[in-house]
Amino acid sequence: MTRQERTAWGFVLPVLAIILFVFALPTVLALALSVTDYSIYALADWGALRFVGLGNFTDLLTTPLFWRALGNTALFALLGVPMAIGTSLAAALLLHDASVRWKPLWRVLLFAPYVTSVVATAVVWRFLLNTRFGLLNRALGWIGVPPVDWLGDPHASIPAILLFVTWKIFGYNMIVFTAALAAVPHDLMEAARLDGASRWTRFRHVTLPAIGPTLLLAAVMSVAGFLQIFAEPYVMTLGGPAQSTTTVLYFMFDEGFKWWNLGQASAVAFILFLMILALTLVQARIGRRYEWL
Amino acid sequence: MTGGGKLAGAAAWSRRSVVAALSMAAAGGCAVQNMRDPISLWAMSYEGDYSPMLMPAFTRATGLPVEVQTLPWTAAHEKLLTARAGDSLPDVFMLPDGWVGEFALIGALAPVTDSALLTGLFPGVSAATGPNGQPYAVPWSVAPQVQYYRRDLLERAGYAAPPEDWDSWRRMGQRLKARAPDDYAFLMLLNWWDTLFTFAGQTGARPLRERDTRGNFRDPRFRDALAFYVSLFRERLAPPALSTEVQDPVAAFAQGYFAVYPYGPTLTLDLHRRAAELPPALWSTARMPGPEGPGQVSGIAASLCVSARSRRPAAAWALVRHLTSPASELTYQRLIGTLPARAAAWDTPQLRQPALAAFAEQMRDPTREPMIVEWERIRIEVQLIAERVVRGQLGIDAALVAMDDRVDRLLAKRRALVETGQLA
Amino acid sequence: MTRRRWRAIAVNAAVVAATLLTAAPLVWMVLVSFMPRGESSRFPPRLWPSRWSWENYHELLARRLIDGAWFDYRIVPALWNSLAVAALSTLLGLLLTVPAGYAFAKLRFRGRERLLQLLVAALVVPGQVAMLPLFLIFKELGLVNSYAGVILPSLAGIFAILFVRQAALSIPDEMLDAARLDGASERRIFVQIVLPLLAPITVTLALFMFLGSWNDFLWPLIVLADQHLYTLPVAVAAISREHAADGELMMAAAVVTTLPVLILFVPLQRYYISGLLGGSVKG
Repeated sequence: MTRQERTAWGFVLPVLAIILFVFALPTVLALALSVTDYSIYALADWGALRFVGLGNFTDLLTTPLFWRALGNTALFALLGVPMAIGTSLAAALLLHDASVRWKPLWRVLLFAPYVTSVVATAVVWRFLLNTRFGLLNRALGWIGVPPVDWLGDPHASIPAILLFVTWKIFGYNMIVFTAALAAVPHDLMEAARLDGASRWTRFRHVTLPAIGPTLLLAAVMSVAGFLQIFAEPYVMTLGGPAQSTTTVLYFMFDEGFKWWNLGQASAVAFILFLMILALTLVQARIGRRYEWL
Repeated sequence: MTGGGKLAGAAAWSRRSVVAALSMAAAGGCAVQNMRDPISLWAMSYEGDYSPMLMPAFTRATGLPVEVQTLPWTAAHEKLLTARAGDSLPDVFMLPDGWVGEFALIGALAPVTDSALLTGLFPGVSAATGPNGQPYAVPWSVAPQVQYYRRDLLERAGYAAPPEDWDSWRRMGQRLKARAPDDYAFLMLLNWWDTLFTFAGQTGARPLRERDTRGNFRDPRFRDALAFYVSLFRERLAPPALSTEVQDPVAAFAQGYFAVYPYGPTLTLDLHRRAAELPPALWSTARMPGPEGPGQVSGIAASLCVSARSRRPAAAWALVRHLTSPASELTYQRLIGTLPARAAAWDTPQLRQPALAAFAEQMRDPTREPMIVEWERIRIEVQLIAERVVRGQLGIDAALVAMDDRVDRLLAKRRALVETGQLA
Repeated sequence: MTRRRWRAIAVNAAVVAATLLTAAPLVWMVLVSFMPRGESSRFPPRLWPSRWSWENYHELLARRLIDGAWFDYRIVPALWNSLAVAALSTLLGLLLTVPAGYAFAKLRFRGRERLLQLLVAALVVPGQVAMLPLFLIFKELGLVNSYAGVILPSLAGIFAILFVRQAALSIPDEMLDAARLDGASERRIFVQIVLPLLAPITVTLALFMFLGSWNDFLWPLIVLADQHLYTLPVAVAAISREHAADGELMMAAAVVTTLPVLILFVPLQRYYISGLLGGSVKG
């Protein structure tokens, strides 16, 4: 036993030490920072630092931009999750169909956007969404739709970014759903078909319940992902127009690294953490209910 | 006696020469070592892109190589602060005047001790100071805002030159719009604060009060400026666009998408370079209009600073001296269009072009901006609120209240420090 | 019969259409990168280059001598930087997490279950919470603006540990016990028995780590101030904020960033995709 123990600790300690150092320690520090008024004055002189208790949090609650960032982030999640999950499901169903040839090829091509760099593809999409020269408005023009000011109209900016995000990430859940679809019990499906059930009825009563837990889990995990959107607004819209694409993380980045208000930024980080914690608890409840946790 | 003395003298002389030779060799060795490590220079945008052109002359004269890094304006503030926090600031870097106070406060800058660097400046240009009033930056270039206009488009609407007061200027815009309803009269990008603050500066309104610890945006003069600014958009004389949407403003200017383009001197160079798209005869410059005639305008004045932690301060100051000499500043004017801060440079024929006359006049009459840490952020946030007014999301009076509230909030820490006497 | 044929054609056509739509932005990216300067900002915009030109790549990648001074976007150094950082990240990451994952799966030691619970709980905390204080810590230690500062946070691979653990659970205990009875040391067991068994998982994990490091954007953006150290996404982001007008140039930059990833991914996609399905990895 002790020999095993010694080896085990030898194997485990290095990475645990790193996790402690770059993860646990800073997270605790974040909590500490969020109750101070660390700002650029403190960078100059430690003596200017003051303990403000919940001051940062109350300040945030009265900062309109913070609420707008929360609203934008919620909108991203609300619109984005159905878009992303729906697209992934549709793609998975399409690929799952027995009559499709060369499945591996399509799977790879449909998955490819997921592994590309956000920055590079955000640049490409910014060009695609250009009001005057973009391909998207050209395509819309072919079917008679007037050009949309995708990245300049505050009402269109979130859908525009969501188009990009959906394109980028749908491949991931497509694979997950493909595996789930493959696990749908065959005999049940056969029985339904023999009973004369239509395609749609089969989908609703056999497929959907079987992949339901996977769908739910994927949806919950997607929400967590959408809550952390940053790179896309950073590259494509600089948080605009009219701050319509400023997300919680973008707000935190600006506050923390642009203006050096680390106290307030840590408060934002803490709030983000609480939101994701709540989400994970929901995820755990669902998981326990469907017994795959 | 004399022989021995001569001998001793000779020995002493030779000893001295050996010491001298050794120290020269040591100095030479140090010089060789310094030669291997280049001095680092960071500059924004065009200054960064073109500074390498001026380095060969400097390296030839001093033997010191220089490495230039360009920072994009949109990320410069955070990159510089991060570098300061991580103690990796370059030896010499460019700062717009509005940031000098901030960086001096956090101990990033070395004070300017060589007064020769601060003499001979163009009247109206002065060195940016830190919190204790000491100069921390050497003025390098000035870029006051003027308006570039399409002479042909204005002539067609019946104007030889743009009017100099707001109401007439707006009427000109209306006439231009009437002739070309699909195009616009002016281009004022919604995420840049320069035009709004130009208008505000001309009214004489001071943006802050009480020793720069509270916002003063409810001043009726600022209200006038904001109302004028918003009216230009409301009457569709300017497109409500961000810089990310109008990707090539020069091409748009050439195509007549808008007729008047308030901008700084670097546009002169862009236009000369793209003369094929827009011949020089078709455009000219004029001072920005004021409420009743041209007034004070602030420009983005840029300065050069030396890092407080630079390991080669002497070499760094030498580089600053080189870059702010009249000859170098004239070279920059030729390459990128920014205007020299040294008076001597203005006496040369290069700067007597008619297109630059408006700038020269404007430079003599600059506004003084608050030199506080939060100024950059205040401008950006005020412009954001102004953008919301333009987009119809907020009324003007509500916006002014919001601006004051926001600015008061941003200045809270400063107020606390001023009240306890820790800040001037 | 015919109805089924028609349906098969329709479904296949739909799949092809979906794939074309998905690939369109990437294809467009490549096409524009070969267009001559300014062609894509003309109205009406072109769909195909009027002539194929390397000038954008030349401007992006080459160090040009103009009027006696050197101009360089420094993309090629950023490429090498990204490669070095990603390779180092992957190597160190594997060295740290594979043994740990095995230990959590197969080696008995006091506190194993408690530690495991803590690790799973830590998954809840989003990485960005730690980012700001971590920067301050690194600042005190002088790690800002260095590769150590960039790589260190990525080595805290909680997912990787759990991923390896999941795979290692399926190693039969009898094999290990037999080797122990034979007198082999734990280290030897790990190297000679476990590692070969975990080989496909290791390849998958290496792929995840490499791609993750290559595409990493936010932390290198914050930590690296010196242009010499920029990794590729940071360098491209720096150019993209200012050169939004040069569509062709930006597309060339995007191609340079995306191409290595796709080249790596396409032959190894089997590992990547099976890895996604096999473990509880978020990617």
